[in-house]
Amino acid sequence: MRSRLPVLRKRRRYMAIEVDSEEALRSVDLSAEIHSAHVSLYGDVGVAGNRLKLIGFDGKFGIIKCSHLKIEESRAALSTVYSVVGVRTAVRVIGVSGTIRGATEKYIPRLSLISADSGGRRIELDEVSGRIEHVQGRQIDLCPDDPCRVKGSDTRYLGLTSFDLRGGYVDADGTADGL
Amino acid sequence: MNFFCEGNVHSLPEGSDSPSRLALEARCLGFSCLIICNHTGFEKVFLPEAASSIQGMEVIMGIEVMAENAKVLHSRARSARARYPFVAVHGGTEEVNRAACEDPSVDLLVHPEDGRKALGIALVKAAQENDVAIGFDLSPMVRLRRTSRSRWMELVRRNLTLIRKFEVPAVITSGAMSHLDLRTPRDLIALAEVVGFETFEAKEALLHPLRILDKNRKSWASPGVEIL
Repeated sequence: MRSRLPVLRKRRRYMAIEVDSEEALRSVDLSAEIHSAHVSLYGDVGVAGNRLKLIGFDGKFGIIKCSHLKIEESRAALSTVYSVVGVRTAVRVIGVSGTIRGATEKYIPRLSLISADSGGRRIELDEVSGRIEHVQGRQIDLCPDDPCRVKGSDTRYLGLTSFDLRGGYVDADGTADGL
Repeated sequence: MNFFCEGNVHSLPEGSDSPSRLALEARCLGFSCLIICNHTGFEKVFLPEAASSIQGMEVIMGIEVMAENAKVLHSRARSARARYPFVAVHGGTEEVNRAACEDPSVDLLVHPEDGRKALGIALVKAAQENDVAIGFDLSPMVRLRRTSRSRWMELVRRNLTLIRKFEVPAVITSGAMSHLDLRTPRDLIALAEVVGFETFEAKEALLHPLRILDKNRKSWASPGVEIL
């Protein structure tokens, strides 16, 4: 027996999100932080009317359920996530769909960019030097030798790209593009 | 398709990301233009030429002038005008806010609420006469919580009421110091709506930096007289 008439069911939307963080996150921690950010922005009454819930998260992409009338509210609440258990994080909505299948097939890529293991390689430029922490596509996260370099931005790593290492910086890593 | 512009971000050495990384992230988020405005003292941006390798992104090097009083501000803004296509001023005290609004060489006044005081009528009228836009940096919405955030929102709402009345252009920005601070245009619009913007106002505020850049690219004989 069905517990509720179909016409009385709340209509939902499913948001595909991309989570950008400095370290790997656990789904439980992310879910708790999203709830905390939501309560902080809209209060208990706002949360009761929306019921934002993290359904799945694979470490980079996730699906969030929300009310079909509160999509903009949910976007605002998700964009106020600043850090999760002390790790700087940004949650970005990449698309909204009416079904979980739609959100997954349409917005979550099946192939992701390969994250290479840096193996403790270093970059030595005139202005910046440090150890490579993560490399993904063209993006490079660098742990600087001088921690004061990241003081103003409240992050752990400096963000560079392979474009920054081109142009004869042979001392970067002995290779043309420094990688 | 809208060509949104992120009007006030900070890169190395002030922030933690190189201009090319910020441009790469901003392109993925849906922006077509990025204006890097490092504060006075951090003008020497790390490898600005690398950012031009990012296809489909226009990266502009501007400056955010900081000054302790009106006299210093006027002289710095005048000298910055000759060197940069986009001149923003970091507001705060009433004297600096007033001086920025009265200076036609200033394009944008950001953080006017930093001194915990809302803008006044005279100041907004001066901004209207000199075509100075008022910047709304939405990073406190993300960073702050509880009392401090609600106080900030109250000040911003008062400023917004005034600039609506006098039809002064607004600019919304994430004020990013790193790629983790950047938000998509739709996220910024949603945040701006929470602060008190209407949707169309928030969209206009994301497009306005492009109009400022267009205006600055033309050569003017005197106010209102363009050299063709």
